[in-house]
Amino acid sequence: MLDLAKTRWHPIAAGYDLPLRHVFHGQLLGREFAVWRADDGYVNIWENRCLHRGVRLSIGINDGRELKCQYHGWRYSNRTAGCTYIPAHPADAPARTITNRTFAAVERYGLVWSAEEPQGEVPEIPGLAEGELLALRGIPVNAPADVVAARLKGYRFQPNAALDGKDAKVAVEASNDFTVALRAVEGGAATLAAFFVQPVDSNRSVIRGVLDGKVEGAARLAVLRHHNELLSALRVAVEAEAAHKPAPAPLEPVIERVSPELAEMPEETKHGRKATIRVQVARKWPAADGIAGFELRPIKGLLPTFQPGAHIDVHLPNGLIRQYSITNGPGESDSYVIGVKLERDSKGGSTCLHETVREGDVLAISEPRNNFPLRRDAVQTLFIAGGIGITPLLAMAQALKNQSLAHELHYFAQNEAQLAFPEKTSTLGASLKPHLGLSPDQTGAMLREILSGYGPDKHVYLCGPGPMLEAARHIAAEMGWPETAVHFEYFKNTNVIDDSTSFEVALARSCMTLTVPAGKTILEVMRDAGIDMPSSCEQGACGTCLATVIEGEPDHQDVYLNDAERKSGTKIMTCVSRAKSARLVLDL
Amino acid sequence: MITLYDYELSGNCYKLRLLMGMLGVEWKTVPVDFYPGREHKSDWFLKINPLGQLPVIDDDGLVLRDAQAILVYLASKYDASGTWYPRDNPALLGEISQWLAFADGITGTASAARLHDALFYDFDVEAARAGAHRLFRILDEHLWFGEQEGRNWICSASQPTIADIACFPYIMLSEEGGIPRQDYPAIRRWCDRVKRLKGFSVMSGVFPAGPAKAA
Repeated sequence: MLDLAKTRWHPIAAGYDLPLRHVFHGQLLGREFAVWRADDGYVNIWENRCLHRGVRLSIGINDGRELKCQYHGWRYSNRTAGCTYIPAHPADAPARTITNRTFAAVERYGLVWSAEEPQGEVPEIPGLAEGELLALRGIPVNAPADVVAARLKGYRFQPNAALDGKDAKVAVEASNDFTVALRAVEGGAATLAAFFVQPVDSNRSVIRGVLDGKVEGAARLAVLRHHNELLSALRVAVEAEAAHKPAPAPLEPVIERVSPELAEMPEETKHGRKATIRVQVARKWPAADGIAGFELRPIKGLLPTFQPGAHIDVHLPNGLIRQYSITNGPGESDSYVIGVKLERDSKGGSTCLHETVREGDVLAISEPRNNFPLRRDAVQTLFIAGGIGITPLLAMAQALKNQSLAHELHYFAQNEAQLAFPEKTSTLGASLKPHLGLSPDQTGAMLREILSGYGPDKHVYLCGPGPMLEAARHIAAEMGWPETAVHFEYFKNTNVIDDSTSFEVALARSCMTLTVPAGKTILEVMRDAGIDMPSSCEQGACGTCLATVIEGEPDHQDVYLNDAERKSGTKIMTCVSRAKSARLVLDL
Repeated sequence: MITLYDYELSGNCYKLRLLMGMLGVEWKTVPVDFYPGREHKSDWFLKINPLGQLPVIDDDGLVLRDAQAILVYLASKYDASGTWYPRDNPALLGEISQWLAFADGITGTASAARLHDALFYDFDVEAARAGAHRLFRILDEHLWFGEQEGRNWICSASQPTIADIACFPYIMLSEEGGIPRQDYPAIRRWCDRVKRLKGFSVMSGVFPAGPAKAA
């Protein structure tokens, strides 16, 4: 009985229960739900517990894009329920395993439907036309659903157009354990009423009624009150009956552990760069002069949760792999939007995207990776973008804007036509500060102005062309910004890589010692030996293939690590960096 | 300056802190150790309120007891807008008084259950919980039809009144007495609206709401 009930669709709320910025407390077959509608209209039905301390998310805050737990402020994204931010770990991107359990949601007949293990469709009631309905007030009843449904077969009511009458003939048109459809007829007036009994728990139900035909104004209120009165009386009778019987034990829902696919290590492949997701180019448009915008929608299912600053690998039809930052604001989880600048000296990546890839094309992409995480505990955050460097910073600025956290986005470009994604930047209001057509000297002066006045708990995030980043980092250091407050992301590594050395790498946890010859990278040698290692840009810019150094002196050739990290000698980018010592011991 | 004889965990004291905060009235607090000190039954306090109950205010020598009575006084004296207790609208005053009495009923049930669970009072907790559910069903139905009629608050005014303030605290704290509000979705939505009022403040066990969507 319970197993069957779990496969059926049941209403768990009415449409009016989900106003914007509210979290509804639902329950089905003993399992509690936090139900909330995002500002984009999407209905989220989630397990009602924060993955951190188990506090009910139904007391959380729906900010229109994310749900925030009241207890320690963990934030979960619209659609995916993936955690996007943990205030106690402001410098880290949450692990992908922190994803709450979600349940199917369908809106039909003015009600919101769900099922634990849905099979088939939401029940079809002939005569109920979508949009031409009146949803009644839901009536909670302390009695089992089948008892309530049985009692509803004897429910007597008047048709909408004959409320004052007393003699309506009421016939059962259809019924099962959870549904009763009745038609009341008096004279020429007839009304079809469908009652869906939501099994909240073994001894609790909600009667959710829907009438055919729209009624307006005072008549509508009269109809609602007519049924509310009759159903309340029915509730009293059912509860009195149920009170005579021993109450069945409450259902005990199984709280699932993290799904196996999330909990397991990603599967090993020879090729270290995995593109497990297929997306379709839903839209391609000129996002600015020389910049193409791409909206990538999943072929099936939902896209994984992203955090501001995250990037994806895009596998291009010509075999190249390129990294692009996700520009989306929080909760915009139905597609990823990226911006691609046509590079004059393109090696084929941006040319391919600009000239070959069209709307409707299918591309392979990797899961989003965040090596450029955004802290949200700063008293003020500065974003400094040069040209296409706007993309990760745009996602970050939207996240801070959504939480009303102080920030400024300084956007350097040649001219107004080169400012990308105006439809997104315009939502930032006064925090957007464009700086147009400045010479390198003028840019330096402006950076000095922006970076003057360092104070504790201020952070700056930089992304742009190499020379501008170098200048900004230099000025920040001069102005007293500590390295821990200066975060940056390079597009590419323009260092000339010296791969002429040969050395030994010991992998402490794998119990292997490998020799890295001249001309090969640590990453390549490890992969040849069957060691799987994630990577993305493979040129020392993105931070994905970072390893911890236990012993030995690294020869840093990347642009990901900052000076303090380099000096500490405890981290290495295995795709480009090498060893100055004869031997390196890595924690792998 | 108003002096409030206050206990931080008391919902009845919270009613006054809420309204004074929303009205922008300043006050100073005299903490009374209700639990475990039972200071509200001490000799010095019984001289102020022979009933031995919180809250009490002293406004320049005027000493008043009873949360609902004090709400009436504060709104009448300090609400320049005149919306919290509209003295020139008899029908509305009748409605407000009706719901102030209802709020007393909530105190007698939901607050009693909370005192039993949290402060170990010897009350019939099952009866208290059943009584609270009976009242919550009535209020949920009232608020649901209010929403259908375009009304956001307990009384039929376009602005909140002291009836909303009087009912809010012990509804929000009901779970501390083992009374879930899951079956009262219209009450839950109304709680969001109260929390979004300008000048709203929290107490232990009452969480803030996020902002409403900007129009």
